[in-house]
Amino acid sequence: MGQILASQFVYNWRRNVSAIAGSAIILACVLIVLFGPLVAPQNPYDLTQLNLLDSYKPPAWIEGGDPRFLLGTDGQGRDVLSSILYGTRVSALIGIAAMLMACTIGTVLGLLAGFYGGRLDAFIMRVADVQLSFPSMLIALFLMSAFGTGIDKVLIALTLVGWVVYARTVRGSTLGEIQKEYVQAARVAGLRDAKIIRRHVLPNVLTPLIVIATVQVGTFILIEASLSFLGVGVPITQPSLGLLIKNGFDVLFSGLWWTSVFPGLMIMAMVFGINLFGDFLRDELNPRLK
Amino acid sequence: MTASAMAASATTAAPAAPMLEVENLEQRFPLRSGIIDRLTFEGGRPRLVDSVVHAVNGVSFSIAKGEVLALVGESGCGKSTVAKSIARIYTPSGGRIRIDGEDVGAYGHRAMLPVRAKMQMIFQDPFASLNPRQKVRDIVAEPLLEQLERRGEARAKAKAREAAVALLERVGLNAEHAGRYPHQFSGGQRQRIGIARALSVNPGLIIADEPVSALDVSIQAQILNLMMDLRDEFGLAYLFISHDLSVVNHIADRIGVMYLGFLVETAPRDRLFSAPRHPYTRALLSAAPTIDPADRAVEIELEGEVPSALALPSGCCFRTRCPFAYDRCAAERPTLQDVGGGQSVACHLIDEPERDRP
Amino acid sequence: MDHQTAPAPLLDVRDLRTWFHTFSGTVKAVDGVSFTLAPGEVMGLVGESGGGKSVVGFSLLGLIDPPGRIEGGEILLDGEDIARASEERLRRIRGREIAMIFQDPMTSLNPVQTVGAQMDEMLRLHTDLDEAARKARCIAMLESVGISRAAERLKAYPHQFSGGMRQRVVIAIALLAAPRLIVADEPTTALDVTIQSQILRLMRRRIAQTGAAMILVTHDLAVVSEMVDKIVVLYCGKVVETGPAREVIADPSHPYTRGLVDSIPNPRDRKPRLAQIPGAVPDIRNLPSGCSFRPRCPRAQAKCAEVAPALAPTRGTLSAACHFPIVEEIAMTGGERA
Repeated sequence: MGQILASQFVYNWRRNVSAIAGSAIILACVLIVLFGPLVAPQNPYDLTQLNLLDSYKPPAWIEGGDPRFLLGTDGQGRDVLSSILYGTRVSALIGIAAMLMACTIGTVLGLLAGFYGGRLDAFIMRVADVQLSFPSMLIALFLMSAFGTGIDKVLIALTLVGWVVYARTVRGSTLGEIQKEYVQAARVAGLRDAKIIRRHVLPNVLTPLIVIATVQVGTFILIEASLSFLGVGVPITQPSLGLLIKNGFDVLFSGLWWTSVFPGLMIMAMVFGINLFGDFLRDELNPRLK
Repeated sequence: MTASAMAASATTAAPAAPMLEVENLEQRFPLRSGIIDRLTFEGGRPRLVDSVVHAVNGVSFSIAKGEVLALVGESGCGKSTVAKSIARIYTPSGGRIRIDGEDVGAYGHRAMLPVRAKMQMIFQDPFASLNPRQKVRDIVAEPLLEQLERRGEARAKAKAREAAVALLERVGLNAEHAGRYPHQFSGGQRQRIGIARALSVNPGLIIADEPVSALDVSIQAQILNLMMDLRDEFGLAYLFISHDLSVVNHIADRIGVMYLGFLVETAPRDRLFSAPRHPYTRALLSAAPTIDPADRAVEIELEGEVPSALALPSGCCFRTRCPFAYDRCAAERPTLQDVGGGQSVACHLIDEPERDRP
Repeated sequence: MDHQTAPAPLLDVRDLRTWFHTFSGTVKAVDGVSFTLAPGEVMGLVGESGGGKSVVGFSLLGLIDPPGRIEGGEILLDGEDIARASEERLRRIRGREIAMIFQDPMTSLNPVQTVGAQMDEMLRLHTDLDEAARKARCIAMLESVGISRAAERLKAYPHQFSGGMRQRVVIAIALLAAPRLIVADEPTTALDVTIQSQILRLMRRRIAQTGAAMILVTHDLAVVSEMVDKIVVLYCGKVVETGPAREVIADPSHPYTRGLVDSIPNPRDRKPRLAQIPGAVPDIRNLPSGCSFRPRCPRAQAKCAEVAPALAPTRGTLSAACHFPIVEEIAMTGGERA
């Protein structure tokens, strides 16, 4: 049946255009993250490669464009394509790292809350409720203005924003699992709580997290872009896509549109792909829709 | 000598400690609810009331080595709770539990671990009782592995897995099945895996909570036969929880009938089926459908339904549905009285048999 | 009208085939099932899980959803083939002609509507009674199924009833429009023994009074033997045996039925071991050749693997689909593992 499920997954995937499109976009992004710097025409942070004479060149196919700069250049003469290839890496890695941190913390807290119940549960869930009652942007902005900018601060902010959804989901699944007889059987076998949680509860509450984690990477990329756009995100030395948009935004209405529009399109494509694939996963993994 | 004969001689001749002795077992569950639900007004003053589910209310019985005691009753009668309190899935609220002569009432997790080698459990739902993410060999090996690790044995994992494979073969599966996952098995096969798991520590007592009620009829027979074979082979004692009287009639040496958390009657099997004394037992026996029309003897037809365990009736638990109830039943709670022949009944009619007619 | 020897059947199911087209293959849940039901007759449709008995029940009401489909055969209700009826026509049939009682009353009762509203809707759809008459009929019906203070209880929601009471409400709703056929799918399986016997008594009495025919779908031979006139035994989507209830249970001629009956512990004839059918029901997507019961059958021979047996008279009033039916009238004393 495991094999049937696995092959059914593939079967459904092959019949779902948006799932295939989403997967293709994600695959492209993964390739960019892994190999982007290797194929980039230029290292945009190596000042020796920059030439101010090349500043604000339009994309290559527009009059005045330079074939060396396919998507044009910015005010420092940086190749926009190369900036995007480097920036995508920063954005995606921040999204994935923050997701992993939020997922770990949220899962642990959710397991504890669901398994032990009582005051611990009440405490964790009230903290989660408070967290949910603030807009995530506000929390991130507050943290960033209090602790300053930097990739580590961005990660902390995103983790604080993101753990709640895991904690709630895991707590709910845990409450369901600990009622099941195999958990009782583990007690009768004499297992300690920690072992029961690790060996019996945890593996059975992970499935719904796959969907949440996938979609959250997209959400985090967007939040990070917003933070960077507002100037409280990543430092200027490691520009993410959001920071690229901000940098180009000042000159956007002077007709120099390419410096922010292309990074913007890249974010859009990446998040769109993630969400397409996330929706497919949701339909596949949700037993209630079967 | 069959196991039941052994059991009989054990109870009459040898003064050996029973495998399981339960005295006055009580199990209450506080009902967790919000402040608003608990708020009541008494004499104009607000008061917070905690509701408590009285699941088991002073149940006593014992099981000799090699004996099968069945607890029967309808849903909500507390029979499964008794099983799970003894297996320490719940911590009992009151009473004593002695396993192989050892009072385990105050035992914590660590002290309980060696006791778990003497007592294991088989569960009702063949689908929920096996962890879907564990391989069958690890499922079966788990209780033994805990015991081996407790004793600090070397190669504990390998030994436990070897034992698991042998057990799988004993319960009618084979060694190839050890590496598979539970979803690759049918309900009957899964129940065999659950039985192998319980057997892994070589226990003297197996608590079986409705072990066949989720299975198809033809598979039920396979599992019941297996359980009886294992009892003869290993001298197992069973605490067998069931709602199915025909199954109980087949497997049990002695039967206890529960209603609303009370044990209302207990007797050797044949005596219970031929001469039930408690009105509830009689109603239960006459309500059970049977394929043999000759067995059809409607003695008592019950109306109404079981009262809530949140608010037990005063006096006798069964009086609200009992066709013979009279004033004493509301005033005084009957206790189990020995009526001879190994039969005990908790009913005031024993004292006043002339009232025993509708 | 002429008096015929046999009354015209109310329901005549011919070669019904209901299949489910799933990713992993076609599940022939019902594959060539035929039976007839006379007016007022009570029939038991028995078998283990996977036998297809519930699917037959759902097919009769046109309640098969994709990927399931009635692939072939006829369901003649008074001569009208409802297997091919329009959804519009089926809606008229459900409730008025055929009513259904499910295992879990919560699935057939709407949790956010009062019982009264649900009963009233049934009558509005299927009768032209005015409001007062409808209400009176609902109250009378609830009382007839043993629900006291019926007028008050009409205003209650399903969750305010206990399991047994809920099933009484479901029965009351099923009987409201005076259907000619009731399909009851495991109506008492979820209930306790004492409640089960109350409900069975009630169904038997009420159905006898209304003169409706009933199909009782169940796995429980004991329940069947107390309720029905005639039994149809299903195995892997096919009828394996049919006949009058008493005969089928007392002395079945198909080895499967024999095995089923023998595996029920019998207090009058207690053996150290129960008779058991070896093995398990095969995967219905991958049935053995010939007779589906062959791998588990103690009487199987070479022919059973080659030709699927057809339903034919075996002994007395029994018919079975078996090449080597049990024709001698002695109970088999099998029981050891094959």
